[in-house]
Amino acid sequence: MSEELAIILETASKIFNKHVNHDLRQFIDKANINLINLWNDIEEQGLSKIIVKEKFNGSELPFSFILPIIKMSNYYGTPLPFSETILSNYLLSESDIKPPNGMVTFAVDGIDIKITNNKISGKLLSVPFLNLTEKIILITEIENVKNIILLKSIKGELKPKKNFLAEPRFDLQIKNCEIIDIKPLNSKFNFNHLGALMRSAQMIGSMEKALDLSIDYCSQRKQFGRTLSKFQAIQHQISEMAVELSASSAALSAVGNTDEANKNIQDIAILKIRAGIAAGKIIAISHQVHGAIGFTQEYELAYFTRNLNSWRNDFGNENFWETFLGKNFLENNNQNLWEYLTY
Amino acid sequence: MSKFTFPSIKETNELSRLRLEVRKFITECINNNEFIPAADSWVFAANPEFSKKLGSKGWLGMSFPKQYGGNERTALERYVVTEELLASGAPVAAHWIADRQSGSQVLRYGTEKQKLSIIPKISSGKCFFAIGMSEPDSGSDLASVKTKATKTAVGWNLEGRKIWSTGAHLCNYMIVLARTGPPSDKNRHEGLSQFLVDLSLPNVNIKGIPDMTGQRHFNETLFDNVELSEDALLGEEGKGWSQVVGELALERSGPERFLSHFTLLDRFINEFQNKLLKSGSNIIGKLIAELQTLRRMSFSIASMLQNGESPETQAAFVKELGNKFEKTMVESLREFSNIIPLYEWPDQLQNLFEDATLRIPSNSLRGGTTEIMKGIIARQLGLR
Repeated sequence: MSEELAIILETASKIFNKHVNHDLRQFIDKANINLINLWNDIEEQGLSKIIVKEKFNGSELPFSFILPIIKMSNYYGTPLPFSETILSNYLLSESDIKPPNGMVTFAVDGIDIKITNNKISGKLLSVPFLNLTEKIILITEIENVKNIILLKSIKGELKPKKNFLAEPRFDLQIKNCEIIDIKPLNSKFNFNHLGALMRSAQMIGSMEKALDLSIDYCSQRKQFGRTLSKFQAIQHQISEMAVELSASSAALSAVGNTDEANKNIQDIAILKIRAGIAAGKIIAISHQVHGAIGFTQEYELAYFTRNLNSWRNDFGNENFWETFLGKNFLENNNQNLWEYLTY
Repeated sequence: MSKFTFPSIKETNELSRLRLEVRKFITECINNNEFIPAADSWVFAANPEFSKKLGSKGWLGMSFPKQYGGNERTALERYVVTEELLASGAPVAAHWIADRQSGSQVLRYGTEKQKLSIIPKISSGKCFFAIGMSEPDSGSDLASVKTKATKTAVGWNLEGRKIWSTGAHLCNYMIVLARTGPPSDKNRHEGLSQFLVDLSLPNVNIKGIPDMTGQRHFNETLFDNVELSEDALLGEEGKGWSQVVGELALERSGPERFLSHFTLLDRFINEFQNKLLKSGSNIIGKLIAELQTLRRMSFSIASMLQNGESPETQAAFVKELGNKFEKTMVESLREFSNIIPLYEWPDQLQNLFEDATLRIPSNSLRGGTTEIMKGIIARQLGLR
């Protein structure tokens, strides 16, 4: 790890440590003063524009830096569109649009999108965190070109989604909403791939937390006269969580040096598959070893497992990427499997 | 946060060139009918002539120092060569253990004389080793071994028996873990030592044990008052346990933990590529994801070994995941027989599949069971 990244992670962990606690996550339906203080610190330290170009007041650091930062924010369980803002600002900056201040969220594709006189109408599906921000980027195809659109303000009807009771999401009907800027999305990006990468990093942070919570809980909780951690059945379950997590982390460290869609598509597919499989197991085992307390709102485990449920379904689930990867190999008649793997 | 990391290591162009060189050599061997690709070839397929050939290519004892007849190449180069050999099902069983762990053990703990007499022979593919850990009453509980070495006027007297020693009947040496002193009250790992035992010595009796597939690789090796010279002791007297632990990182982290049945997967895909495209892309995609992740983890460990680290825990992760992957793989192919019944598969593929099915229970036993791996991991997580 570079020294520069280590310093940034140190700064980030101080901010998360100072502000994020389980109470903060209870008031997620509206911005309260504690959330605003957290966001102000994040923004003041430049974390939300860490890979944005310098000409747009960003730090223009390497793309690979965001993955450990995103992972960390989700280890702490930060109930803000932190990852969404980092990614949105980056894509705006790379498409030559100045990113706004404040939290930013994103919408993909949309239904019946129509643009007339620099105003946009249509329906946006499952947009994260509209309870906390009105700043949205929309990535959508217009006349066979992927565009990135920065919307000015939301005028429309919000419909909350259930989303596994994880981070808030909304369907949004917009009508004649003003456009701040619209540009073709820089063609080296594929938003679906970057989204899968981002969600995987978030999942890995959450899985690390679920593992640590399980270790701590089982080391304290006593039954039959000894701590749960002394039971071999429990030890083996928790070891399995660690094995799943380590495989996902290895898959994450293999990606991330490039943001270019075509260069690392296989690695991203592998990552999303591996993290999705691990999430399924870690949700089940972490709840199993916690017993009833893990199933309550007052204890923090469920915050992390609800997010895992949501994210493993975002930007293609395991089956989607398994099929993608299988076809990617099988349709190519020039390589046998070993050549494909070692290419 | 993350206790065990697997940093991403990229394969350099130089390594890729070596890979292709090995691949070309193997293809030539197959075309010349020098061997038939086999499943689990690092356990079952011993071919001393092939081992010698690899030795003359400089592909055995790759990382050993030149002064002992080694090749002074990196652990990553060795990794690439072993991967190519395993993926093609080459007959590597004869030299496998010597090249993987025993040679390193002799280099690390041996005397100058031991190194000079043994390492060059390992590197040239002329000296093979067996593992002398398990006993009839000591499997997973290795510290309970009863084989005993007693000091004599001229050296040591070895008494006891070792079991499951794969390939011992073809080997020149066995590294035997034996008791040389009592365990202490606090530490039952005390009082163990490792010995370099020449299997051609008098009173060494090697008896084959056919495995459940009828093949011979297992042995029971009896040491009935075997007189060992003084310098048969490997390393320090009483330090056998810590020496063994280091050896296990080499034993557990390599690509044989997930490529044992790669030839089966490869043949299966070649045979059914079009059918799979129609109705099984996701099965293949999942296997690719698991396999590629394992390759990265194992490659990352090779780089840790290169840097002189002792990644015993990371090795347990690879072994545990690799064993699971191989079981899942065989099971996934079995499910495909809904679409094309097994009896319609080509004979050679059917045989490979049935061999794999029969042998797969052993992969989570050899080199440490699943339960032991999970125990090691739990200890490192602070649960024990």
